[in-house]
Amino acid sequence: MKKLVVFCFVTSIFFSLQAQKIYATKTGQVSFNASSPIEKIAGVNNQVDSKMVDKSGQIVFSILIKSFKFENQLMEDHFNENYLESTKFPKADFKGFITNISTVDFTKDGKYPITVEGTLTIHGVSQKVSTQGTLVMSKGKPAISGVFKIKIKEYGVTGLYIGDKIANEAEITIDCKYE
Amino acid sequence: MMKKKILLATILFLLISGTSVWYYVFVYSKNHHREVANEKGIAVAAREIVKEFQLNEKVANEKYLNKAVVVAGEVSDVKTDQAGQTTVTLKSDDAFSNVFCTLKSGNSKPELGKTIRVKGICNGFLSDVVLNEAILENNPQ
Repeated sequence: MKKLVVFCFVTSIFFSLQAQKIYATKTGQVSFNASSPIEKIAGVNNQVDSKMVDKSGQIVFSILIKSFKFENQLMEDHFNENYLESTKFPKADFKGFITNISTVDFTKDGKYPITVEGTLTIHGVSQKVSTQGTLVMSKGKPAISGVFKIKIKEYGVTGLYIGDKIANEAEITIDCKYE
Repeated sequence: MMKKKILLATILFLLISGTSVWYYVFVYSKNHHREVANEKGIAVAAREIVKEFQLNEKVANEKYLNKAVVVAGEVSDVKTDQAGQTTVTLKSDDAFSNVFCTLKSGNSKPELGKTIRVKGICNGFLSDVVLNEAILENNPQ
């Protein structure tokens, strides 16, 4: 009898572990846009590391600031040296949850609206963020996209041109395909 | 007469310097990007650079961050990222932490299992050591 209980216990753990799936990518895309009417300031990062758990909706993004590539080399250098100080703060990350993960059916292809809440850390400063996005299931693989705005100064980023040539708010665009 | 000459020279000087600044900021910087091929890279084995970052990320960042590095290692994965660029993973001794390189366009895809050398700019450490703008090195240094 005891053996049977242990057996049932072990198998149930085994199944519950199996039921949870972690989706991951190392090549997610995140774009940064702080263009003002005067100047186009936009960078793209194709080396974003992200993981997501289907059951709990837990989601993390890890970003290297130096992976943002700009059309203009001088802008890229200024972005790194004068604004984000990427030598001192090489990384940015987001840790949070998809709060309505129960509405997503990972077994069925389709488009699901999601709400993401969590903590965004840029330039060594953490702030709570909440945003809407979309999760698309296609051939059993999820992709997440979303756009949200951050106030640059809230992250302790100061610099000569913010509010002038550089917009006060930067638009962050997420586009990550998971496996 | 003298005054006029000085004024003319000043205007000419301002015009030239203004044009050169504009040219440097908006034209030159758009067409001239950092080229890893022109830089001398720090040679290191994939397993060594991963170990260094795992041991002390701060010290390793001081040594490698934003610098050109030439990493030697066995190809364990070749993929294409969302922008269509080829990515190559070089194996270390730790299965969960390797060297992840995004190649510049125009590079051929390396074969799995082959030991190669990749030269790129070190952008830092996530779960892997990350190299960007990388090129495949053919000839031994």
